[in-house]
Amino acid sequence: MSASRRSPVIVEHLRKQQMWDALAKGKRLDGREFDDQRPLEIELDVIKKANGSARVKLGHSEVIAGIKVSTGEPFEGLENKGALIVSAEVLPIASPHAEPGPPDEEVIELARVVDRGVRESEMIDLEKLVLVPGKVVYTVFVDCSIVNTDGNLFDATSYAVVAALLSAKLPVLKMEGEKVVDTSETRDMPITTIPISITAARIGDHVLIDQGPEEEACMDARITITTNEEGFCAVQKGFTGSFTVEQLKKAAQSARVKGEEVRARLKELTAK
Amino acid sequence: MHDVKRRYVIPGDKIADGNFRPLMNVIKSGNALVATRIGIAETGRDGVKVIPLSGVYIPRVNDLVIGKIVDHSSLSWEVDINSCFSAHLPAQDVFGRDFSPARDDMSKHFAVGDMITARIMAFDRTRDPMLTVQDRDLGKVPRGELLKISATRVPRLIGKRGSMIQTIEQATQTRVLIGQNGIVVVTGRDPEGIKLSVRAIQMVEDEAHTANLTQRIKVLLNVPDTPQEITRAPIGNGDAKSGEIDSNMGEVEEELEVEGEK
Amino acid sequence: MTQTRNLIDENGKRTDGRTADELREVKITVGTVRNADGSAFIEFGKNKIVAAVYGPREVHPKHMAQPDRCVLRCRYHMSPFSTDTRKNPAPSRREVEISKVMREALEPALMLEDYPRAAIDVYVEVLQSDGGSRCAGIAAASVALADAGINMRDLVSACAAGKVDEQIVLDINDTEDKEGGADMPVAYMPRLEQVTLLQLDGKLSQEQFNECLDKAISGCKIVYEIQKQALMQKYFGNETELKEEVAVQ
Repeated sequence: MSASRRSPVIVEHLRKQQMWDALAKGKRLDGREFDDQRPLEIELDVIKKANGSARVKLGHSEVIAGIKVSTGEPFEGLENKGALIVSAEVLPIASPHAEPGPPDEEVIELARVVDRGVRESEMIDLEKLVLVPGKVVYTVFVDCSIVNTDGNLFDATSYAVVAALLSAKLPVLKMEGEKVVDTSETRDMPITTIPISITAARIGDHVLIDQGPEEEACMDARITITTNEEGFCAVQKGFTGSFTVEQLKKAAQSARVKGEEVRARLKELTAK
Repeated sequence: MHDVKRRYVIPGDKIADGNFRPLMNVIKSGNALVATRIGIAETGRDGVKVIPLSGVYIPRVNDLVIGKIVDHSSLSWEVDINSCFSAHLPAQDVFGRDFSPARDDMSKHFAVGDMITARIMAFDRTRDPMLTVQDRDLGKVPRGELLKISATRVPRLIGKRGSMIQTIEQATQTRVLIGQNGIVVVTGRDPEGIKLSVRAIQMVEDEAHTANLTQRIKVLLNVPDTPQEITRAPIGNGDAKSGEIDSNMGEVEEELEVEGEK
Repeated sequence: MTQTRNLIDENGKRTDGRTADELREVKITVGTVRNADGSAFIEFGKNKIVAAVYGPREVHPKHMAQPDRCVLRCRYHMSPFSTDTRKNPAPSRREVEISKVMREALEPALMLEDYPRAAIDVYVEVLQSDGGSRCAGIAAASVALADAGINMRDLVSACAAGKVDEQIVLDINDTEDKEGGADMPVAYMPRLEQVTLLQLDGKLSQEQFNECLDKAISGCKIVYEIQKQALMQKYFGNETELKEEVAVQ
């Protein structure tokens, strides 16, 4: 069951007024333009024990994604594809409002939206992750530990997952009879494309990308749009308010332009 | 006149041996005086204390605080005072004794998200802090730039008899309202002045542990370093409040600031 | 535990090249979690652990509050990617136990009576695990508590010692933990000279027990210096000494 609730962050009226005054002049409280993202830091291979990993800081939102590869049965209906599972946990260290325990609906939505971007763009050629068709396939777990929350976890988490996948080394496994054997060789993930999400928030009549924590607490609605080199692959509208069609088309356009910038950075980073 | 010895300490550090009186953030362990916090240890004739550099604000009766209305019941407002406990402001404090939850609209007076200056009327560690706004200059904060600093830095920001904050206010043409709980509101006509004032306050927070801070703040603010007569002229709203805090915390601050001043 | 191969070579070097008395590389950074009241990141060998403290703060649910002291809550948790094979994110029995012994290792150092009715939450997240993660976690948590400005009688330091090839060695690594003869994690308050955590798995003789405990405590003292340095660096930067000036009043 899903129930409406109040944001745990209450923005002071003073700040809200300043935010609205700034937005009316086309500015944001931290000095950004509507289409500016906060500083983005990406660090690869931070967890050597994982098959791939990345730490992303977007503003002060910080996410560590780690990949663990094993083998298992394929998903039903996807017998000739490897299995990919994205999960996330907002660690209780991440904010005074986060509590230990199983992920709540917001975190499950977060993980599923990130998962959808990777899955629907067909970033990983899952057909190359099959050992015995219909029986044994690679299982790729992508787990995200959110270390600090500072607004727009969708994009921070998404970039961490994509960066971890891009840098991952897949263990080369072989079947010896019924048994799976690790050859102790590795190869790159079969990557076909780089999906990038861009999230925008609507506050009043203004639509701005990469909302900070105060903007997030003041926003009416949110839209996460994932694109790859060719076009759109996944969208999620979130939060209690709504968008006009015009606003959505504009957000979609920024998602492609901004997405291209982030993609170029990731490409450069992982090419090394 | 007496000598004061200072040094940086972390919890568990022995500050001195012998017959000293343990003052704040110091415990006696056998014959040793031991720090319980990170900060600056001071050994003087009257005892040993540690001026802490970290920690959340613990309410004290009569403290002036700046808080945020976060909720209200039919009888009181809940106020976030950046502390280990939320505070309560009874509706009767605002509406008087004949307050009636049916007749009086509490949210018209203070709504969720409003900032208020208030005084801690009661807090004895068996119940949550109780606030009052019944005094001159208390109540809603209508405008200003909000800042949050560590409550441990508040005495440093005020300075010896208000010297630090007065230097900042005069050089930037701003008014700085300081809550003992580390919430600070800067107001002024000139946005550039506000920006500079905010920068100076942040510098005080970052460098609170260092000597000669007043000098460096003066450099930042481009103030000529001439010894000035410190008189606390009324400069509107902010003054009465920071002035009062000043008298509360002066003793802690005084000794730290001495080296910068002399 | 039964040992199947030699873990100490003819030159007295261990599987990772250390001597018997050598600690792995330890690095602590204070204040790495921006939202927390106090935090520390520790790299202890291959362990990468972040500890964060929230509090003192209000207790939810309220009935958990105690009238005369603060409630200390502690969670030790491993990220799914931190181990050799993926760990289920749900807390295991091992994590529940470590959370408890960790809380009990920290509690003697804390002046909980100073914060009645409040709670202090200590969260330790293992991002990459190696042998000795509970000791590394306690060391990081203790630094995070000091960073949060909680009143403390002393810091809590921690280190393990153990038996490998019938020899007592300092600071057991992952391989030695899995294949060695015994593992003894110890937490220790260096000023008060008190042990706040002691566990052992494996067999030791009376003599070995004494030697192992002494060795672990010598390790705690080294870790303590690193904890102290990390805190000094965060709060006082490179100015480790405040000029001993004479103030005239």
